[in-house]
Amino acid sequence: MRQTLRQSLLFGDQVTLFLYLALLAFGTVMVRSATFATKYGALGDRQVVYALLAAAVFALALLVPYQIWVDYGYLLYAAALAALVLVLVLGRTVAGSKSWLYLGPFGFQPSEFAKVAVALACANAIKDLPDKAIEGRQVAFLWGIIALPAVLTFLQPDFGTATTFLPLAGAALYFSRYPLGRILKWAGMAVLAVLLLFALGWFTFLKPYQKDRILTFVNPAHDPKGAGYQVAQARIAVGSGELTGKGLHSGTQNRLNFLPAPHTDFIFGVVAEETGFVGSVGVLLAFLALLARFLSTLRVARDAEGRFLVLCGFAVILYHLLVNVGMVLGLLPTTGLPLPFLSYGGSFLISMSLFAGLAANVRMRRFVP
Amino acid sequence: MDRTDDPTFEPKVLFLQFVAAAVFVLFASRLFLLQVMEGSFYRTLSENNYTRTIVLRSPRGVIADRNGKVLCRNRISFSLVLDTAKEGSLERTVASMNRILGLSMTMEEVQAARKRSAVPSLAVLARDVPPAWVQKVEVHQDELKMLRIEMELRREYPYGSLGSHAIGYVGLLSEKEAETLRIRELDPFIEVGKAGVEKAANALLMGENGKRTAQVNAMGREVEDPRLRLPGVGVQREPVPGRNIRLNLDVELQQILTSAFGEETGAAVFMNPNTGEILAWVSVPDYDPNLFSHTISPKDWQALSEDPRHPLLNRPIQGAYPAGSTFKPFVALVGMEEGLLTPGTTFYCPGAWEFGGHVFHCWARGGHGGVDPLTAIQNSCNVFFYRAGDRVGIERIARWGALFGLGQKTGVDLPSEMAGTLPSDEWKRARGLGPWYPGETLSVSIGQGYLTVTPLQLLSFYSTLATGGKRYQPRLLQGEPRLLSSVDVSASSLEVLKEGLQRVVTSGTGRACNIPGLAVCAKTGTAQVVAASAGVDTKLLDKSIRDHAWFAGFAPRENPQVAFVILVEHGGHGGDMGAKIARLGLEYLFFGKKPGEEAPAAEPSTAPPLEARASVRAEGAG
Repeated sequence: MRQTLRQSLLFGDQVTLFLYLALLAFGTVMVRSATFATKYGALGDRQVVYALLAAAVFALALLVPYQIWVDYGYLLYAAALAALVLVLVLGRTVAGSKSWLYLGPFGFQPSEFAKVAVALACANAIKDLPDKAIEGRQVAFLWGIIALPAVLTFLQPDFGTATTFLPLAGAALYFSRYPLGRILKWAGMAVLAVLLLFALGWFTFLKPYQKDRILTFVNPAHDPKGAGYQVAQARIAVGSGELTGKGLHSGTQNRLNFLPAPHTDFIFGVVAEETGFVGSVGVLLAFLALLARFLSTLRVARDAEGRFLVLCGFAVILYHLLVNVGMVLGLLPTTGLPLPFLSYGGSFLISMSLFAGLAANVRMRRFVP
Repeated sequence: MDRTDDPTFEPKVLFLQFVAAAVFVLFASRLFLLQVMEGSFYRTLSENNYTRTIVLRSPRGVIADRNGKVLCRNRISFSLVLDTAKEGSLERTVASMNRILGLSMTMEEVQAARKRSAVPSLAVLARDVPPAWVQKVEVHQDELKMLRIEMELRREYPYGSLGSHAIGYVGLLSEKEAETLRIRELDPFIEVGKAGVEKAANALLMGENGKRTAQVNAMGREVEDPRLRLPGVGVQREPVPGRNIRLNLDVELQQILTSAFGEETGAAVFMNPNTGEILAWVSVPDYDPNLFSHTISPKDWQALSEDPRHPLLNRPIQGAYPAGSTFKPFVALVGMEEGLLTPGTTFYCPGAWEFGGHVFHCWARGGHGGVDPLTAIQNSCNVFFYRAGDRVGIERIARWGALFGLGQKTGVDLPSEMAGTLPSDEWKRARGLGPWYPGETLSVSIGQGYLTVTPLQLLSFYSTLATGGKRYQPRLLQGEPRLLSSVDVSASSLEVLKEGLQRVVTSGTGRACNIPGLAVCAKTGTAQVVAASAGVDTKLLDKSIRDHAWFAGFAPRENPQVAFVILVEHGGHGGDMGAKIARLGLEYLFFGKKPGEEAPAAEPSTAPPLEARASVRAEGAG
């Protein structure tokens, strides 16, 4: 399980490293632009610290052999569950939900770290299973592992973050021995079931603001002052960037507060406005390359636990990308999920860095016996 | 999912590759649509977001009297404006506004204000609000996003109702006026003259608003950020202030004459016959134009428009009255100029004249005996003018009347002037009233019948007599005199008229205006309201049916400097009240004497209120 430094450099995942650092650096610059000369100005500087911290975590995730990470999977999972329970008791309420836990002056969101812990715990659960053995029973067990923190997150209540456990559940199913066709069929049925449940939920548990968001997505003219206003302003921000953008710090939608939450949920709006089509497609290309690299690692990884970790990283990052950019571009409803590596926020950044670091780790150690 | 021996592995990875590529293609094409294809559209939207056109208001011109006394000026005022172009719910905004600002506006009132506004998206909800509201609205911007407080310049009339009919008033530009005046500014605060000089000289007074484009943030607050160099931000056009104007009016004369009317209603105009300069323009009752400077309340408007004394009526030009005896000198003049009468022509007045089987009475039942033009004017003998009018005939009266501007507007620089009526055979037939009967000429000859004049027309006639035939346009605004027409009148006829008119004042019905040291020529007159039988003491009649009293003339007799007309509605016979009012005005103009004061003896006053006064004294005292 050991690998020499020479081997590490030779087989290391320089592509993932480069793409990760590029996105991280670009994101930091954009967050600074989104908070420059506003009351959030200090957040821009804080994001630099978070980015450095995230890079260190990335290095940690890369350098400690992923098998060791997986070995500690259950322990980390238990810690994550404990934190999620704790946050329900002691958590500070921000924007209507208890998702922040404070250790002295440092606050973090246990739900973000729980995603990584879930992936590691699941990897641990399957690592000793014989080949082609992952069947319904095992999938159900993995889903149990995933469901527990998801439910706890849902109770905060943070519906958006709770849904980010869905890609992990998808990854678990995808990893089973069942062929693609059948999985897609099940997925289709699941979507139908969700729609039914949604119809039911409409009349029971959905909050007015959640209904509003959905209605606004269906018809942007609905309540133009509230959610529709955000959608419209985000679209103006994106479109007005034109081909090459208005320039860093010069996005009027961003700088003059028309764009909602520009440093977090709508950071891609700032990218689109200030760097234009060139910059935003460049960011998307970087994501595409990163995801393609994950898939390539999937092919070369030496064991099931490694492949599972990579698949989890792929699923989580793709899910965030889809939901976040889809929202900014007005293709999906407003859900308030951040964009990996670009959005402001320490916990999320570190969690995403862990996934990226573990993926690079798997690739680097693909030949280790 | 094992890469080596799981047959499902490769299809699954391929599918994920496809998904990732599909997401990329979807997003990239969406970006291409929004940014490249529709980019310029969204750029415009973003520019509209951050720019707000700020109107730079131009102050309306100040109006002053001939001595520089300010009759109308501007003051700073704050107004509550509703901007419906802003995001938000109108109902909620109105509810929050009522709560925060302590108002109680209904939705209907708000909608009415919106309808009234010349700018579709802006409505002025309240004017002259406390300056403290500026901050209140700012603090509650989240709730009151659709509201803002704007500074505007409001009209203020320091003399209140004095001279209101001459000065007029302003009001907010209506949508219709915006069309006719071709004003396309997006400013709900444009005020335009609605009456008086404010309306007549609106184009001079108004100036033109400028505009500036400001950079605002999402809260609508103006921000200056040197890092954001935005196109099109800054001053676009400087405002052009309105021109200050001076009127020919003399506020002191105006005050003297207005207060002389007391509770009576009527009109008085004083004018320089040699230039047409109007020195005083009295129409009583008057109104306070400051009421209109605020958007007039329905209650105030009702009070003004339903007042039986018609305070809004601009009597000197909007009231047409029978001229009464003041018309008689005209008939004598036409007769002499046409050679039908001579200064020596004498008619016998037995107290009545029978004509066409009808008896026409003289006001003096006992008759005047033998009268010539001079004594006929002096004693206002009806019989003489019946016979003179019969000789002259209605057509000559109409022709000469037109030369003197009767039956037509004088062209005074005020809006809504009436023309009065100068009847003739043609005039009567055109109105389907049948042919002209000679008996009707007799009524016209003593200023009754179909003939009506506005006070200003009558003044214009006496002014033209004063200048020996030169008729000037009456003017409130200072400027070059404008000669309207020059009537060729012989000096001998004029002398007869002047002598007769002077005798009216020295020994006739106008004795109340007999001022020592000033040769006043004037004629009294009575305009019948209803045909009361002769000999009834009018003082016993109910006031509303009592006759109107005229007093019109000029002074001094040689080289006249002032022409005047006084109309006291329901004032009975013209001698007393009208002559007394005229006397006060003339004493002020010629001797600097104010009512209740003794005339300053040798050197009347240190600062003459009227340049003309000094010259009047120098030239006219002899």
